[in-house]
Amino acid sequence: MQQLLSILIFYRPLVLWSLGINTMLLFFKIEPVIILIVKVFLVFFLWYITNETTAKRKLTFYKNLGISTFKLFSILYLIDLFLSIPFLLILREFI
Amino acid sequence: MILEIDNIELYFKKKLILNGIYLKIETGEITGILGSNGCGKSCLLNIIFGNLKPKYKLVRINSKPILEPLYKTKLVSYLPQYNFISKYIKLKTAFKLYKVNWEVFTKHFETLSIYKNTKFGLLSGGEQRIIEIYLILKTSGHIVLLDEPFNGVAPLHVEKIKNLIKLEKNQKCIILTDHRYSEVIDVCNKLYLIKNGCTKLINNLTELEDYKYLNSGTLT
Repeated sequence: MQQLLSILIFYRPLVLWSLGINTMLLFFKIEPVIILIVKVFLVFFLWYITNETTAKRKLTFYKNLGISTFKLFSILYLIDLFLSIPFLLILREFI
Repeated sequence: MILEIDNIELYFKKKLILNGIYLKIETGEITGILGSNGCGKSCLLNIIFGNLKPKYKLVRINSKPILEPLYKTKLVSYLPQYNFISKYIKLKTAFKLYKVNWEVFTKHFETLSIYKNTKFGLLSGGEQRIIEIYLILKTSGHIVLLDEPFNGVAPLHVEKIKNLIKLEKNQKCIILTDHRYSEVIDVCNKLYLIKNGCTKLINNLTELEDYKYLNSGTLT
């Protein structure tokens, strides 16, 4: 539970970015499945950026809770998936 | 608990940083690691924690080899030199995540009691360090790695931190490294010096002068 809560805190500043990307891609008539695949690449990109900058230092906070970098980013993607799918399905009805 | 670190060989490109490392740490002991700048003290703590992958390493707990990074076992907590808490996290959240009691903390550091709902980034450098040290010391891990814990902390708080470290040693294995050698000598039961990539167990403090870590006559 502690681990999930800390991953949610890591995800919190990314929520609006994620929803913004969903809206933008859906606006260009891109299929929701493709959007979710694009998100995989974006999570990889985020992982790469984190590893290559001083942001990597903040991963120690999560490692102290027993969360590896792989676990952090894969659960991050699953949380995003969980939020994005209903958001995309609802939004598609209006666009 | 007995933690042993053995057979570490670390290279950066082709430069050999660490070889011939052996450390043995037991519950109830505070082990200090001393060494000059760039000798590999922080690298050693990073290797033990699992942040850094050397060419070879052997970490054993109670004689049982641990093959995965130690942090995955949740047995270890690590205080790095840098701030590891995000500046956007509120102190009460950090304490909740690390399962550390805020009320007990404020008994030790009354001046920080007003910051419960404050974001970590709004604290001064010294206050941030105190919060981090306290969280790492009080979290449930049985092995504590402290990299320069006294750096940036006011002398009054250094004494409190030293007392907290001494208090925690009864349940934990503590490894500490800092350039403030007098504080390290004061708080530690066992000392290792890293010289030429190897650890040397220090049985007598004069050996620190013999190995040219300190100028001769410094300890008298």
